[in-house]
Amino acid sequence: MSTSVNVVFQPLNRTVQVEKGVTILQAARLAGVLIESPCNAVGTCGKCKVKLDQTSRSSIRPYGLHHLSPEEEEQGYVLSCEAEVLGDILVDVPSRSHGTELKILSHGQSVEVTPETYFQKRYEPKDDRTFVFAGDELVGLEQSNTEDQKYGLAVDIGTTTIVVSLVDLGSGQEIASASALNPQSLHAQDVLSRITFASTKRGLMMMYSELINELNRLIERVTEKSIVNREHIYEVIFSGNTCMIHLATGKDPAPLGKYPYIPEFTGAVHLSASEHHLGVSPFGLIYVPPVISAYVGADITSGILASQLHQQKGITLFVDIGTNGEMALAVEGKLSATSTAAGPAFEGMNITCGMRAGAGALEFFQIEDDKTITTKTIGDQEPVGICGSGLLDIVGELVANGVIDKNGRFVKPESTLLPASLKERLQLRDGKRVFQISRQVYLTQKDVRQVQLAKGAIRTGIDLLLRSKGITSDAVDRVLIAGSFGYHLRAKSLIHLGLLPDSFDGKIEFIGNTSKTGAQAFLMNQSLRKEMEKGVTEIEVIELANYGDFEQVFVRSLGF
Amino acid sequence: MRELKAKLFQDLSDAVVDMDEEKAVETSHQVIDEGIDAYEAIEKGLAHGMDRVGELFDQEEYFIPEVLICSDAMYAGVEVLKPHLKGDEQGEKKKVVIGVIEGDTHDIGKNLVKIMLETSGFDVFDLGRDIPPQQFVDKAKEVGAHIIGLSTLMTTTMDGMREVVRILEETNLREQFKVIVGGGPISQSFADKIGADGYAANAADAVRLARKLVS
Ligand code: FES
Repeated sequence: MSTSVNVVFQPLNRTVQVEKGVTILQAARLAGVLIESPCNAVGTCGKCKVKLDQTSRSSIRPYGLHHLSPEEEEQGYVLSCEAEVLGDILVDVPSRSHGTELKILSHGQSVEVTPETYFQKRYEPKDDRTFVFAGDELVGLEQSNTEDQKYGLAVDIGTTTIVVSLVDLGSGQEIASASALNPQSLHAQDVLSRITFASTKRGLMMMYSELINELNRLIERVTEKSIVNREHIYEVIFSGNTCMIHLATGKDPAPLGKYPYIPEFTGAVHLSASEHHLGVSPFGLIYVPPVISAYVGADITSGILASQLHQQKGITLFVDIGTNGEMALAVEGKLSATSTAAGPAFEGMNITCGMRAGAGALEFFQIEDDKTITTKTIGDQEPVGICGSGLLDIVGELVANGVIDKNGRFVKPESTLLPASLKERLQLRDGKRVFQISRQVYLTQKDVRQVQLAKGAIRTGIDLLLRSKGITSDAVDRVLIAGSFGYHLRAKSLIHLGLLPDSFDGKIEFIGNTSKTGAQAFLMNQSLRKEMEKGVTEIEVIELANYGDFEQVFVRSLGF
Repeated sequence: MRELKAKLFQDLSDAVVDMDEEKAVETSHQVIDEGIDAYEAIEKGLAHGMDRVGELFDQEEYFIPEVLICSDAMYAGVEVLKPHLKGDEQGEKKKVVIGVIEGDTHDIGKNLVKIMLETSGFDVFDLGRDIPPQQFVDKAKEVGAHIIGLSTLMTTTMDGMREVVRILEETNLREQFKVIVGGGPISQSFADKIGADGYAANAADAVRLARKLVS
């Protein structure tokens, strides 16, 4: 009896032969068919569902169906990461509902730097050639005078999105920029599942090569846009969190996923661009800024540089609000840093109607004085889900307006004085209380709990980081919020949520994607690299879990 | 007397649910003064209250802080009643060895499960966090545990759970202990795949599961 079976994927009509017992997702990966699997086949995200016809349904073993609604089950949906193939089947892969267009923040606060680039060019008229130097070393020769064609790339490799910025190394001007979804996120959304995915050689290769391919596509886009010859791109800065930096350079991130979380690769080096198959000058180099720790990455180093945190007078707190709330505190120029596991709620994951910041995502929500509701979605269309900034807005406004009590519970509509316009939105769905936002989109009690956990984690990080330096929150002079949320976030919501202390009111600045702008600064001035390489070793990294009362502080931070 | 007893038990249970530590202590003193059995007061009063708290947690009415404050009230009451327990009533609890698997240091979920198990009458041996698989097995053997409870928040460390089951099988101990798993990235199908005896989605669930497995 044969043990291999055929799996056909529609609508691509691609067939793959696999051993009985492999999952549909494994088969898809073998066939090169993309099925989104943000939790990387752990069976918790429910996003990898595919549809089977009647006959196929009897040829699989479905396993846990708990992430599917009864209707979905009825229609023949199964979780592809759990369903094992037992016979020939036909699989219908749903098209990705939100497309690939994401709203990606690519601008941010930057610093003026004097150009002092690592690469130099010198034209020799006598033999009509241009010499290319990397540092002091002659690395290449180019025909004729190309002195004024000298470019570099600042690359922000985010967990969810990547931004590539093409910079004129002469003037420091950004010539073009392009962004895309980090392709790795389709296989594994958060940092930890990505580490797990990369724990096999094949997985690591896949993560690495998919990213490099996407970078090359983006490089093509920025050069096409600007008619720059890719051969004249000499240096590339890779900024990103520690795990992304590992994956982008093909290094095994496994040590980051296990206590005591020691990174194998700590940046502050040059790598060959051609060895990493980047479509730039054959003697191009990649520079990776120094990494601070396993969970405080090169993106924060870039952020410190872009915001000049280490030069600030007084007390400044820098917070990157994301899956890993990374933060740094500067007290008269002395830096300490920490990070906290906020989980993926801010990316719209683990939220019933959550989604990435793509078209149709609700990104703004406000309850007006007359208690009517104003919302805004990306692309100004009918809302189909909630993205991170929208989520924080919604919960923040509901807390401020008494729809959610200080413990995080929806109030009972019958026993409150809520205005009718809000009261009528508190409805029951499958016996559970929800807040109905639009026809399709609603917020559940469980979603509020997820927000509580995420914001509680960040607030705990802030409180303990301040405390470790003997500082109270009202002594903080400035609060800089960086990160992919960037300008979409509103200070008001962050304070209503208690994600930030009340006393930060009026001191908050949103500084955008400083991972990119910091990378640009690194690109333009090589002395800054030495400065930051040294600076980073002086940053005190605080390990929150080692604080005896971490748990008490966390629990206290959960309420509103 | 019977009525008074029922009322005091109800008060104890309510004190826990209402997070009223003072009332829990006061009522416990009253129980002693009236000569009511301390063991029964814990069982039908305080522990009963924690059961209700577990239900509320399950219904998403209560969240982690509330559960912890309720358990504080419960413990405060137990402190008062404990000296009045007759010796033989304290033994015979079912034993659970619990901990966070090696490589992970996130232990809030585990701590919550521990509290809920304790308040439901289990004897809990907490190994802490970042615990190698072998250590779970050793401890379980040493104390004669009924259940081994494994927790992790990190997908990267889930394999350690499989390892615990594997060690048990290899050393022919699999039948002796029930293995239960939980934590953010864990699911029922993962539990099935590694051959664990059960999966609990939250602390209240863990108590239900533990009770079912040892009954
Ligand atoms: S549930 Fe299948 S990949 Fe997440």
